[in-house]
Amino acid sequence: MFLAPDGDEVAIASAAAEFLADAMPIDRLHGADGGDMGAPLRQSLGEMGWFALALPENQGGSGLSAVEHVLFFREVGRQCGPVDVLAQSLAAMVATDDTMRAAILSGEAGVALAVNDGAGLRLLGSPDATYALHVSREQARLLSITDIVAPARPALDPATSMRVAEGAAQAPVAETTGEHVWRMGELGAAAMLVGIAEAALDLIVDYAKVRETFGRKIGAYQAVRHPCADMALRAEAARCQLWYAAAAIKEERGDAAVHLDAAKHLANQAAIANADTNIQLHGGIGVTDEHHAHLMLKHALVLGKLFGSKRTLLGRLVNSKVED
Amino acid sequence: MDLQYSDADRAFRERARSWLATAVPREPRPAHGAAAAQFDRDWQRKQYEHGWAGVAWPKEFGGLGLTGLQQVIWYEELARARAPHYINTTYIALMHAGPTLIARGTEEQKAFHLPKILSGEALWCQGFSEPNAGSDLASLKTRGRVEGDAIFVNGSKMWTTDAKYADYQELLIRTDPASERHKGLTWLIGDMKAPGIDIKPIRTMLQDEHVNLVFYDEVRIPLADVVGEVNKGWSTALSTLSFERGLGFIGDQLDLYERVCRAIDLAGKVRLETGKLAIEDDGIAQKLASLKADALAIRSMTLAHITESDRTGDPGPKGSLMKLIVTATHKGLSETVGEMLGWDFLEFDGDRSTHPWTYDYLWSWVFTISGGTSEIQREITADRLLELPRAR
Ligand SMILES: Cc1cc2nc3c(=O)[nH]c(=O)nc-3n(C[C@H](O)[C@H](O)[C@H](O)COP(=O)(O)OP(=O)(O)OC[C@H]3O[C@@H](n4cnc5c(N)ncnc54)[C@H](O)[C@@H]3O)c2cc1C
Repeated sequence: MFLAPDGDEVAIASAAAEFLADAMPIDRLHGADGGDMGAPLRQSLGEMGWFALALPENQGGSGLSAVEHVLFFREVGRQCGPVDVLAQSLAAMVATDDTMRAAILSGEAGVALAVNDGAGLRLLGSPDATYALHVSREQARLLSITDIVAPARPALDPATSMRVAEGAAQAPVAETTGEHVWRMGELGAAAMLVGIAEAALDLIVDYAKVRETFGRKIGAYQAVRHPCADMALRAEAARCQLWYAAAAIKEERGDAAVHLDAAKHLANQAAIANADTNIQLHGGIGVTDEHHAHLMLKHALVLGKLFGSKRTLLGRLVNSKVED
Repeated sequence: MDLQYSDADRAFRERARSWLATAVPREPRPAHGAAAAQFDRDWQRKQYEHGWAGVAWPKEFGGLGLTGLQQVIWYEELARARAPHYINTTYIALMHAGPTLIARGTEEQKAFHLPKILSGEALWCQGFSEPNAGSDLASLKTRGRVEGDAIFVNGSKMWTTDAKYADYQELLIRTDPASERHKGLTWLIGDMKAPGIDIKPIRTMLQDEHVNLVFYDEVRIPLADVVGEVNKGWSTALSTLSFERGLGFIGDQLDLYERVCRAIDLAGKVRLETGKLAIEDDGIAQKLASLKADALAIRSMTLAHITESDRTGDPGPKGSLMKLIVTATHKGLSETVGEMLGWDFLEFDGDRSTHPWTYDYLWSWVFTISGGTSEIQREITADRLLELPRAR
């Protein structure tokens, strides 16, 4: 038993961190077109094999597990990475024909995420995507969206553009049944939220060590240091539960879903509460557009709704049981 | 203890209600920019021309000389009539620059500026905070050099709301270079058109550019525009802050109940992802009910404080408690509505009229940070109301 990244896992996490800090830094979101995963970014992620991490080797993947999957997506979250990075990785698990799968893995064909919105579908991610992935607990479907009409909606989150599809959904071009894709989606979203919760904590801890009022660093005031300690606690709880859930899925334990729901719920809470406190403790600078603080809040709000939001997770958790 | 309004109060409410019923502008206020400032000036001018300007000002300075309770009535009627929000580009002039001049200004200053403020001709901004002086205002560094009959100002202010549209500003600077903290400061009336002033907007997470960095390069301000005394500006600044912390948020205080009710109506119409109406969800229903209780308490606190200060003439140290509960209730309400609205809540284009709840949610942090952060309001409460020992 060891419940933290170990050996090769550490190497993969730091390779991901290094690559993403360069290819997809959070600073990109301060520019005009920094959102989504446009073709160049998609292809560079594809080239490095990041979409193939948890895919079996016989399907052109790296044959790694849910553990490497969360380590990668936690780093994606730290940079407020777009939702379509997750959609792209999951779509590779759904594609049934080799050419389609290869186009997705290489980043040649883009994938947006489709979510239920009232009676229709809302599409999150790059407008140049070829496919949209729609995932439920029962099945995952890949839809072709090149021909659909989907007017853009003004997105609160600069990382994720949104469109609402008009007309009836088309027949899927590929689909799988079962819970696997949903679980990898839930894990990925939870990991991104943990990344945000940690990044928000890092930002305020750095700032509280340098910002001075009344002749002292603000980190010396209990009104600042105690909420920072609470942020550390939320991040720690969500992270440890994420590790447990990922390992439980890797080991195919019977109670993996319970741990996963707890992980997603804790990650939702930690990311939003930490992003909130991070803004507050920065004072005025925290509400400015050029600061990263609001990007974390806005992205956490989007991720909090994907693959299990508060009500559905709590509804499942209340009657669920762990095995040992 | 009683809840009776006097005949005079009831008559005042009737008069206000009937005037507002026809006078309130029908067209919505533009969200940003010069058009918004012009709209505010026009609305202020209209109130002035019909004898409704300066609800909080004494009669001898052109105001209405209302009691605190009558001011409450006025803001309740504004809300009922869906009048333009009172926190707009006229806010600083009416709510603290004017009252500061009335309390501390010279006869010439009062005669020149007060009528312009009341009529909407002059808009003001507040140039107190700096990049390194917010909560700790007394650490400010913008310098003023006294030379002959003028002060030459150099440095920069930050966060100055609506600086671009203001005609004048409340400018707090350090005129004694050897001084520290509260000593050696001077409160000036700054003419925003003076040469040497450069304004750079700061974009916020609400996608607006209302706040600004203001740079001063040898800006000449006549000594006649000092309010209070040179090097004794802290005492003038304390008056300004006391107006800000007194009834500064009165409209929002009284408006919250209305907004909670609107949220409850909405909860009866929108469905959660579970398929239930929002109001059928216990979590949401209980939060909304609890917010309603808070909103009622806020109104009761307002009435208790105001009728007390109408008697004693002293606003007391409870303004910080008020800001804490108003900002927390505002935030709780925005979060609860956010849970109800689903994906629509995550749409935003910077316009309050098309995305009111998302706008208000983002505004929550402006509310808990500007005008003294919540942390500082708790410090003030612990210091002044509870007289606890200080760590600072
Ligand atoms: C939208 C907006 C509009 C504004 N408009 C104006 C304006 O028109 N004119 C003007 O002059 N100013 C304006 N301000 C400035 C505002 O008053 C300051 O931002 C505010 O006082 C906080 O100061 P700061 O930003 O420097 O934060 P800091 O003082 O650096 O505070 C950082 C954090 O540390 C905490 N902290 C600091 N000291 C203590 C302490 N002793 N104990 C406990 N906690 C502490 C704070 O609560 C905060 O969480 C505006 C600000 C905003 C955001």
